[in-house]
This record gives sequence, structure tokens and C-alpha cells, in this order.
Amino acid sequence: MTQPGTAVDGDWQRVHPASPFVRGWVALAAVGYFFGRETFERLLQGRDLVDPNLNGRAPWLLAGGGILLLLTVGGFILSWYFTRYQVAGGYVRVNTGFLFKQQRQARLDRVQAIDVVQPLLARIFGLAELKFEVADAGESAVRLAYLPLGKAKQLRATILARAAGVVTDPETVEAPEAPEHVVLSVPPGRLIGSLVLSEQTVAVFLGAVASVVLSVLTGSGAFYLYLIPAVLGIGAAYWSSFNKGYHFTAAISPDGIRLRYGLLDTQAQTLPPGRIQALKVSQPPLWRILGWYRMQVNVAGYGGAAGDDGAARTTLLPVGPKSDVMRILSLVLPDPGTDDPERVFTAGLQGLDADGGFVTTPRRARLLAPLGWRRNGFLATGTALLIRSGRWWRQLVLVPHQRTQSMALHQGPLGRRFGVADLVLHTTAGPVVPRLIQADAGQAVELFDQQAARAREARKRQTSEQWLAQVVPPPVPAPTPAPAPPPAVPEQAAPQDPAPTQEDPKHG
Amino acid sequence: MHTEAIDPPGIQWLRVSPKYVTVRLVEWAIGNLISIALLSLPLLFVLVGWWMWPPLWLAICVPAAMLVLALWRLVLIPRQVRAIGYAERDDDLLIRSGIFFQRTMVVPYGRMQYVDVAVGPVERSLGLCTLKLHTASAGTNALLPGLPAAEGARLREQLSARGEARLAGL
Repeated sequence: MTQPGTAVDGDWQRVHPASPFVRGWVALAAVGYFFGRETFERLLQGRDLVDPNLNGRAPWLLAGGGILLLLTVGGFILSWYFTRYQVAGGYVRVNTGFLFKQQRQARLDRVQAIDVVQPLLARIFGLAELKFEVADAGESAVRLAYLPLGKAKQLRATILARAAGVVTDPETVEAPEAPEHVVLSVPPGRLIGSLVLSEQTVAVFLGAVASVVLSVLTGSGAFYLYLIPAVLGIGAAYWSSFNKGYHFTAAISPDGIRLRYGLLDTQAQTLPPGRIQALKVSQPPLWRILGWYRMQVNVAGYGGAAGDDGAARTTLLPVGPKSDVMRILSLVLPDPGTDDPERVFTAGLQGLDADGGFVTTPRRARLLAPLGWRRNGFLATGTALLIRSGRWWRQLVLVPHQRTQSMALHQGPLGRRFGVADLVLHTTAGPVVPRLIQADAGQAVELFDQQAARAREARKRQTSEQWLAQVVPPPVPAPTPAPAPPPAVPEQAAPQDPAPTQEDPKHG
Repeated sequence: MHTEAIDPPGIQWLRVSPKYVTVRLVEWAIGNLISIALLSLPLLFVLVGWWMWPPLWLAICVPAAMLVLALWRLVLIPRQVRAIGYAERDDDLLIRSGIFFQRTMVVPYGRMQYVDVAVGPVERSLGLCTLKLHTASAGTNALLPGLPAAEGARLREQLSARGEARLAGL
């Protein structure tokens, strides 16, 4: 039924027959363990393979086991048979279930991100899971587990091409895979270094010192016993960070930004252009020695980053020097909206006071933030709002104007006493919470008003969700009154890009 | 006590119905009476002689402090209700609230995903309703309580129509 390469639009297709087994291997292993354990133990002990006392009951047991196995396998086969998917007419549809049927469809032009995930077992069999995210912070809109890797990539290319508005031959769903260009990768050495210098390590070190001191003071060695589970937990946390961050690669393609990472379980994420709602560059104190930064993003479909998986998915750069940060910023924000992005972003990352044009907390409020007042600040460029904070835990948050959902000004009694106010930008759920703290009240109100106007303007300029359709077929020469940035900007944004890659900066 | 507002200048605020004070009073009464009654139980037990532990002064002080706090909040209610305001601009809705802790919020029409109108039992008897706006962000906690039912319905229709006209993607 499925003929790779000649699939016609609207054809219902099935996932790979082995997928229920890969997904449900735990159940199979449990059945196997339950019945195999005793036999195995007997084998080891050199006794008869079957307990002589069991002779009478053996057939029953075997029959029971057989039925259980049959039911499981039968369930797997049924679930495979009834899982079908289709990409047609601007929608992707998935039908699942045979007792409780579920039909789901998601609009292609609403795609927020698309991931190809390969857990270890699936990877061994050359299979991959496709996750399709729309703007609902809950579970993935569509999960297809599992497809052969080649097919998963093909489907991703098709979905992205459709979502981008590329008009293909209506007879076929196949779209060529978009060429991609690797922009940066994180060497394992740096990843290990970043883990060693992370906040976690500081906490571990302090905890170890405290427990040693306590055990010396109380003269009891029992503390070491308590440390064992802690060490296991910490080891697992480090391992998970290492496993997730291993061989992190960022690449750019016309489909958007591609991120790949993972040691045992590998994952390839694609973020179409303009899907990043907010971005955060942060630097823990110890990373400053080596000049490293971390970048995280809010993407509508990824949600609130629950657990390791979520944390990994919202990481745009696990660790990298300033040059990497600049490169990724140029991908995320092809048009930075200033003449000198290098200077502005540097000021945002490291600067104090009015460097680069940032407006900081007024001097009169320095009691509220004795360390941070020279750093807490904001700067609005033509395309994004930059919010900078933290003297030790440096942080730079960036929100593109057209991604602002709503905004609120806050002022408490203390803030009123010092004439400062906070401005909160509301964005989709994720690790980035844009909040401008302790800005001068007058300036905050002004920014509030201007920002509402800027967001309005930016939204008007963004015409379509189909990012390539906006620029590829130009029947009318650019009807939008975009403030046509000089051609130098896109060029410098992604210097090595092939020509059609750079989408129009007007929708960022 | 004069407090300077942090609203953008030149906004003509529409205020919510003064009847909303009643709703807040009922909420206040239910919440505080229950908690004060619960906190007074030790006092009762000590007076009756069932309990030995909390000394009398402590048993009196805790509910008394709670009572003072509750009364303070009671005094603030009318002012808080008067402080709630909203303004429809061409492209967005402004909502303000609070005097001591002020908040001014702007929700662009194009960002609204859907609009809820909720009516509780007390609100229904007074002919009021609560409007809630949802955007793609969970942080948008745009609640507009105490609207007259007709005004709530009008606002809902108006917001939906404007949202439709200016609908933007995420």
C-alpha cells in the first residue's frame, strides 16, 4: 500500500510495521522476564529446566503465557493497522485506535516546529518518530511513531514545503529536502567544560563541603551513606545533560533553523523562520571565565519545558562563545533593526550603563538593586525589544516586535517610592519570561505605549503564515510598505547562505 | 493618600459597575468569616478548657490579627473596584487595576484567541458578568470583572469582531 517515492497526494499511509514493537518493547520484555526468569534461574543452578512439581500445571501456565503474548502482539498489530496518516489539502491527518477511534488533523500553515526523534532502540532499527507541533502548549499535535528514517525526513520536507507555501506538482507529495548549511557545532570538550563549570557543580561542591564538615563535627560517618543516592542522582543529571547536548549542531536551511543533538537518542528539530517567540542568552558566573553563553527560546508548540526533554528542546545553544551567539542571533533575527548589531548585542551581553544605547534603572533606585541597577535595561531596535539584566547571572532577553502577545506595566508601593515600574511582555509558555525590571516609571510608560504601536506595525507587515509564499512568487512587486532594509543586512545575517534561503526580513 | 497612576497619558477609562462592590463584599465575607471562624476555634477550646497548649494571649492574637487584616481589606474594596478600568483603542484593549499594586495591561485585538464571559450566582443576581481574554500566552491574565451584562455582551461581540478583522498568526 505504501510505495515510497510515488505516493500521491491524499494517500492514507501506515507507519512502519515494527513500530508498536519498538514502542511497546517494555511490555514484551516484561512478559518475557516473567516467564523466562524462573527457567533461566533453573538453568543457572543446573536443575531441570522445568520444576518437576509443576508438571501438572505446566500446560496451563504455558497456555496462559501464550495467550498473554498473543494478546499483546495482536494488540500491537491492530494498533499498527488502524494507525494511518495523510498529508493533503493543507492538513495533516492522523487516525488512531480501533476501539476508541481518534481522528486528528492539524493545519500545515500553523506548524510551529517539527522534530525527528530517534530513541536508541528505534535508531538501531533505522526508525524515527516525527513530531509536529502547533501552537498549543500541550502535547504534540501529531506524533508519527515510527517511520523509516528516510521517510520521516521526506515527510518533514513535504510538510515544511507545504507549510512554506511552495507550490509543488499536485500529483505528488514529494518535496525535495531543503539544502542545509551547518552554522556551528559544539565540540564535546566544551560541553563537558560547561557541565563542570555549571551552577549545578557549584551546588554539588557546596553540598559536599557541607556534608564533610557536618560529618567531621558530629564525628559520625553516616553522612557518607546519605550521599550515595545524591551522587547517583547528580550523576544521572550530568549524564542526561551530556546525552542531550552531545554533538549539538545548528544548521540553516530554507525550512528554518535545524538543530541536531544527542548521543544515544538523537533528535533533529526544525524551527521554521519566525516561529521563535522569545529568546534568552544567559551566562552563569563561572562561564564568564571562558566567555561562554547559553541560549534558550520559547516556541509555541514546545510548551513549558517540562523535564529534561523539554529543556533540551528549548535550548538553541547549550554552550558557545560570543561568536556563536552572534551567528545564531543573526539567524533568528535576520534584520536586527539597528545599524550596528555587533555593538548593540555586545552591550546587551556584557555592557553596563548606557553602552550601546541601553536605558538602565535610574540612579535613584540603586538601593532596590545595588548590583544590578547599572545593568537592568532595555533597548528597542527596529525589529525587537532587548531586555538586559543581571550583574552576576547575566541575561539578555530578546522579543521580536511582531511576537508580542500582550503587555502589562506593574508598580508596587516600593517601586512608586523610587519612581520605577516593571514592564512584563507576555509570550508563549517556555523558559524565557521577558520582564523589564525597575525601569524609570516615565520611560516605562513611554515604552509601553511605543511598544504597543511597534507590535501593531510589525504585525501589519507580517502578511502570511506561509513564509516562502511571501517572497517566492512575486506577482505584485512587494505591496507591503516594509521599510526595505539595505541588502547588506540579510547578507551579513547569514553570510554563507544559498540565495533563496534568506526569507524576507519583514516577517523576521 | 494620593497615588500617581502609571497609565499612558490621555486615556479615557471606562469604569466597571459600582455594584461589583457587592460581589467583592460577598466574596470577602465568605472567605474571611470562614478563616476567622477556623482560627477562633483554638480560643474556644482554650476557654472551655479542653486544650492546654496555646496560651490565652496567643489564642486571642491570631484571630484578632486576622480580623484586623480582613477589615483593612474590606475598607480597600470600594477603592479597588473604582480603580478597575478599561479602554478600547483602535487596535488594542487596555485594562488597569489596583492602587497600591498597579497593573496596566494592553491586549491587541489581533492577538486574542478567544473571549470568555462568566457569570457567578452573586453576579447574576446583580446583572453583572466577568469578561476574560485569552491570548496564546498563559501570562495574559486579562480579567475584566463587574461589567453590566449588556456591556459584557457588547464588549464580547465587539472584541470578537475586531479580533477577526485584525487576526494575526502567532
